[in-house]
Amino acid sequence: MSLTDSLKARTTKPRVPGKRGIYAVMEPYLFLLPAFVVFGLFLFYPFGRTIFLSTFLTDKLGNARVFWGVRNYTDLFTSSSFWASVGVTFQFVAIVAFGGLLIGLATSLLTAKKYPGVTFASASYAMPVAIASAAASMAFRMILHPTNGLLNILFGTQINWTGDPRWALFSVSMLTIWLASGINFIFISAGLRGVPDEMYESASIDGAGYWRRLFSITLPSISPTLFFQIIINIIGAFQSFSQIRLLTQGGPGDATNVIVYAIYRDAFFNFRFGTAAARSIILFAIVLVITLIQFSFEKRSVHY
Amino acid sequence: MRKILSLILAASLLLGLGSAMATESPTEIVFWHSMGGVNGEAIAKMAEDFNVAYEGKIKVTVEYQGSYDDAINKIRAAGMSALPCDVVQVYDIGSRFMIDSGWALPIQEMIDAEGYDITQIEPNIAAYYTIDGKLYSMPFNSSTPLLYYNKTAFEEVGLDPDVAPKNFDEIVEMAEKLTVKDADGKVTRYGFGMGNYGWFFEQWMGKMGLHYVDNNNGRGADPATKVVFDETGGAEAIFGVWKRMIDEGIITYLGRGNNDAKAAFISKNIAITLESTAALKSLLVNVGDEFEIGTGYFPNIHPDDEGGVSIGGGSLWMLASGNDEKQNAAWEFVKYMISPDVQAFWNAQTGYFPITVATHDLDAFKDNLAQYPQFGTAIDQLHSTAPQYAGALLSVFPEARALVETYTERLINGELDIAATVTNLAKEINSAIEIYNLTN
Repeated sequence: MSLTDSLKARTTKPRVPGKRGIYAVMEPYLFLLPAFVVFGLFLFYPFGRTIFLSTFLTDKLGNARVFWGVRNYTDLFTSSSFWASVGVTFQFVAIVAFGGLLIGLATSLLTAKKYPGVTFASASYAMPVAIASAAASMAFRMILHPTNGLLNILFGTQINWTGDPRWALFSVSMLTIWLASGINFIFISAGLRGVPDEMYESASIDGAGYWRRLFSITLPSISPTLFFQIIINIIGAFQSFSQIRLLTQGGPGDATNVIVYAIYRDAFFNFRFGTAAARSIILFAIVLVITLIQFSFEKRSVHY
Repeated sequence: MRKILSLILAASLLLGLGSAMATESPTEIVFWHSMGGVNGEAIAKMAEDFNVAYEGKIKVTVEYQGSYDDAINKIRAAGMSALPCDVVQVYDIGSRFMIDSGWALPIQEMIDAEGYDITQIEPNIAAYYTIDGKLYSMPFNSSTPLLYYNKTAFEEVGLDPDVAPKNFDEIVEMAEKLTVKDADGKVTRYGFGMGNYGWFFEQWMGKMGLHYVDNNNGRGADPATKVVFDETGGAEAIFGVWKRMIDEGIITYLGRGNNDAKAAFISKNIAITLESTAALKSLLVNVGDEFEIGTGYFPNIHPDDEGGVSIGGGSLWMLASGNDEKQNAAWEFVKYMISPDVQAFWNAQTGYFPITVATHDLDAFKDNLAQYPQFGTAIDQLHSTAPQYAGALLSVFPEARALVETYTERLINGELDIAATVTNLAKEINSAIEIYNLTN
């Protein structure tokens, strides 16, 4: 029996009540059940629980105690510290998403041609993938130290990299970009390999120079990869935690207090799970909107 | 049939014997601590010695739980179902939380039941953990803040290397002499530097003889309901010092906590700094022969302040498991950990105070003091403080301390002036206290 025959047999079967009929109705749900159990347990239940908690004040154990309605939200919306934190998050995400992409693109273009030492260069550019953000942050603490850090000694400057509000976000972003550059390099390099040589040859015959080929052939050809990488970078930037925890603890003031760090402080340091849950829901809404914008953008500018 | 019956009887007898023997096996207890590195190794050694001394009776298992924050969070998470350990080391500012949690077995109950002689414990240290006349936890690793200075640098600029500054007027005066600039006018050595550490704020309140919160500094029968440092002028004075130091270019900002300031002191970028007594050993080891370290009392805000320092660090909390056998075993362990010999070892390995008075008479302790005379300053400072400056107790202390650090940054970055810093800080801590009291 061919596949189409068996499908036909199944779809044309009359839906009579009885054992086989119920089974036929249940069958697809049975296949979906494992996925539902996993998602339900680890996504839907926690999500529902977060919404629930965001309308309560919790005691020190995280049990909902006092119904607080939307006051957790209104308290946040009227707090200047919260808006500072939202502003910082957007700056941080934008710097990291595009900075990481630019470094990844530059490094992969540099290693696109074969020359002596290219393997070593590629390995060095990809290396940040293998570095844990916590370990890198500890190393950067020493590099960025205000009085005897390596960076100030090299540049002959006296900049307080993590203690000065004008530099703190920049410092944390640079570290995050460097950490993200490895994965950007790997994916964009792979994308570059996929661009057919014939297109470059034909463009050369037409007299196109390096930059013309870059902007008219390379970038459009790897636009799906670039789009994918931007999304990955944005998600990664929103989730950045350990470098902020270890380098600045959200400071100075609120200069690096990104939303995820603020959620951590509220939930696991101040033990106000209600506010933390409200912040999480707001973060969810922000990420949802960004994702929708990204996909509408994708339809217009990404060529598959 | 009879054979089978007798077999069953014999078997049950054997089983009975087995269970009788089981009760004679050592009582197992679990100890959670937060001491990493050298300090953690010292704990492991002490527990090992305890197990040898109590072989066949008590067996303690030591479990490292990460930072103080991590340990208290794990207790909190586990507390909803079953208590995970019998003895836990909790930091000073976790005390009010532990009392409010209801999981703790106040040490006082064991002391009263046994008639244990409480006078063995340093009164100023016991005072911190005594609330409403009851000792809740056993002091274990106690420290106070100290002033550390570079004696070699003092000599270099013609200051008396044996005289430490006592207040911020003196610090500013000395710091101006100690500051070194290179040809381009860049500062290569600051006279003074300190970490932005909320603990110091609390200590200065004590030094000024002021309270941090109401209800007898949070030590009354009722927990604190609001901060008072905004009404007494205490916070204003402390922030005034920060502002003055930054504006006059006497210090550069060295980040939250102590680590960056400590690193700057070791690498001779600052000549005077503030740190815990518990850092003495590691400072001495790291500095080595590079320069000579001097120690002085934690500086006063005003020259005529007459309060004192309170202790920080951690204490041992017994958890109420309801199992008398385990609780008694845990009590034996706590007593062992604070016995004079063990405390002398602990002091020499770490730099924490020996909390038992009798330790001072031991040769091991005297030798250590002779080798590191700087430690004497810490003991003198502790003894010259009256127990009434034991420091505040506050359920939301970790959050309050972090807020103090954030607002210090807002002040020195010029976001807020001193008055606005004090008002906003008080408002935020008060709302945290209010919500805590509402929900717990």
